[in-house]
Amino acid sequence: MGIFRLDPETYRRHKDDVLRLCNSFQRIDRRGLSDAEIAVELGLPERVVTEIRCVAERDCYPLDEWEKAIEFKDQACREWAALALKRPDLKRGPDG
Amino acid sequence: MSELPPGATAALKSAALKAGAAVCGIADARAFDEHAPPRHRPADLLPGARSVVVVGGAQPRAGDWAATSRAVLETMGTTERIQSVGRRLAQLIESELGYYALFVPPGTASGDTPFLSLMLAAELAGVGSRSLAGPVLNSEHGFLYWSAVITTAPLEVDGREVEAACPAPACREMWEREATTPCLEVCPASRGGCLDGRLESGRAVRTFYDAPRCHTRVHTHWIGGFQKVLEEALNEPDKDKRKMLLYGDFFTRTLWAVTYSSTNVAQCFECMRVCPAAHGKKELH
Amino acid sequence: MARGPEGPAALAGVRRAPYAPDVATPAASATREESIKAVGLEAGARVVGIATVEAFRERVPEGYRPDDILPGARSVVVAGGDGPTAGAWRCPDHRVMEITGYDLRENVAVHAMCDHIERAYRHHAIQAPSLPVHGHAPPMSMMLAAELAGLGTRSFAAHIILNPEYGLLYYAALITTLPLAPDPPLDRPACPHPGCVAMYKRIGTTPCLRVCPACLSGTVKDGAIATSTYDRERCHSRAQTYGIGSFQKALHEIVNEDDPARRRTMIYSDFFTKSLEALGFYRDSIAQCFECMRVCPVGRKHRKLR
Repeated sequence: MGIFRLDPETYRRHKDDVLRLCNSFQRIDRRGLSDAEIAVELGLPERVVTEIRCVAERDCYPLDEWEKAIEFKDQACREWAALALKRPDLKRGPDG
Repeated sequence: MSELPPGATAALKSAALKAGAAVCGIADARAFDEHAPPRHRPADLLPGARSVVVVGGAQPRAGDWAATSRAVLETMGTTERIQSVGRRLAQLIESELGYYALFVPPGTASGDTPFLSLMLAAELAGVGSRSLAGPVLNSEHGFLYWSAVITTAPLEVDGREVEAACPAPACREMWEREATTPCLEVCPASRGGCLDGRLESGRAVRTFYDAPRCHTRVHTHWIGGFQKVLEEALNEPDKDKRKMLLYGDFFTRTLWAVTYSSTNVAQCFECMRVCPAAHGKKELH
Repeated sequence: MARGPEGPAALAGVRRAPYAPDVATPAASATREESIKAVGLEAGARVVGIATVEAFRERVPEGYRPDDILPGARSVVVAGGDGPTAGAWRCPDHRVMEITGYDLRENVAVHAMCDHIERAYRHHAIQAPSLPVHGHAPPMSMMLAAELAGLGTRSFAAHIILNPEYGLLYYAALITTLPLAPDPPLDRPACPHPGCVAMYKRIGTTPCLRVCPACLSGTVKDGAIATSTYDRERCHSRAQTYGIGSFQKALHEIVNEDDPARRRTMIYSDFFTKSLEALGFYRDSIAQCFECMRVCPVGRKHRKLR
């Protein structure tokens, strides 16, 4: 039998709704739904919702986003240091 | 006039020892400039840095060295214990003295390059000196693990150790007799090991250290091993042979070591096991 | 000298936590709430607060409430601990804070308080499970616990709970069957800071919203948060650049790569190596992006040292 596996078609059909309803994209004025609550909303078994949510959380952005994260942090940290410590030399030049 | 209350440096050192360090020394942050490349100096990490506090400790116990099972030192490593001392000192400096303090992360910026050389810091703080085998040894306690805190506090600095632990008298005698020392003999680069060197007039005048080979020994079952097996498994077209790789002893052990990294991060001690200067000066039964 | 406020404070459990290895015995005349908090503060928490289990009911779905975890639970005690030192915040290399790690004193404090409650009051006490168990979802929200225990309020910046005095703290909690008098939630939000309100009036944004528009958006009205959104999945790629997520993403690409030579470069790449290291030393890599907090003025006075 192996471990629980999600059917890719089920995943494709419901991932956007699950992401929308859970805590992935948060608003301060309302909470995301639990897997059990989403299951009721979408008429799916809770285990399936959990699996869709876990895969979707990871699938939401491509690996490129991780590279952008590295660049973002490097730039933001250096710019802050340059400003707060009055050290313009800490900013990276165009050559890195 | 010092900006610190009287006795601040001594109090900090006392707190370090009370927290579990075996030794505590202070280096001048500027002293690194002569030895460390740009971007790996204290002021690169903490602008305005004036001192570097170095603590050493958490070393293997006498019983650990005497144990006949490799698994003791390989899987029950104690290096992380000194990290908590470093962190505590950083917090103490900020809360008690009101100066910035940055705990130097013991990991690496990328690859095998540390943010700041803890070995160099230990030397400059006067709590150890380099050995033929590589590790920095303290003349009293021998082989120690190190942690460092960079700070803007103008602490009183210590001078470098006057008398190096290495080479030990027994090693100088062995060199005269056999042109080798215990560490060079147990792990010789000429016979597939990591080390080579030369003594003259009782001092080391040349050392050689094969870091990539040493990595396969110190980190046998760790990130590198995981990557190697992963590559082999993915390259293996036969499903059954792939299973043997993934369920095999090496990969299983590697996964345990990765999960329990904090106690598995050092897995070879053979050069230190045979070193007469590495185990400290206390004798036990 | 950097110290928190001495003596009684307007905020629950806020006082300077001395960093002493010796734990002092609480005074015999203290109430049990004071006694428990004293144990937590002596063990290294920066702040300690208390909430009732009932307070969670209306805001938490079934299955994630304290009494779903410990039957008969009556109270939740929350400890907040320090994050990076002020010196670490000043480092121009973001990679230092990516792996600086923490001593997680708030967890030590929770354990000390659990032991104290079970020994002194003979009631059950457990550390509240806070690590994710299914995807990003933890069994219990430490953020909500901190809010309900009067230790902070939600902010624009990733909805991080900001303590009005110290700003960013890390939270752990215990659940106990011992009934305790709760601390009220704060009546004045820490966010937005007056400086941020002024900035919003001038240029329509705040420091955190401006530095990270990819993850955050929000509006201010009458000096308070009117709307606020947080893209947690994008934030994950920043706060956990190297970790479980990056390992899964990279592994997926690796196993799908047919060319052995290209596959090899991916397996041994800096990115995959650091992802594996982050798995091994998770405690050192818990949080890897601080940019919204770096520019946040709340608690900043405690980061101004010599």
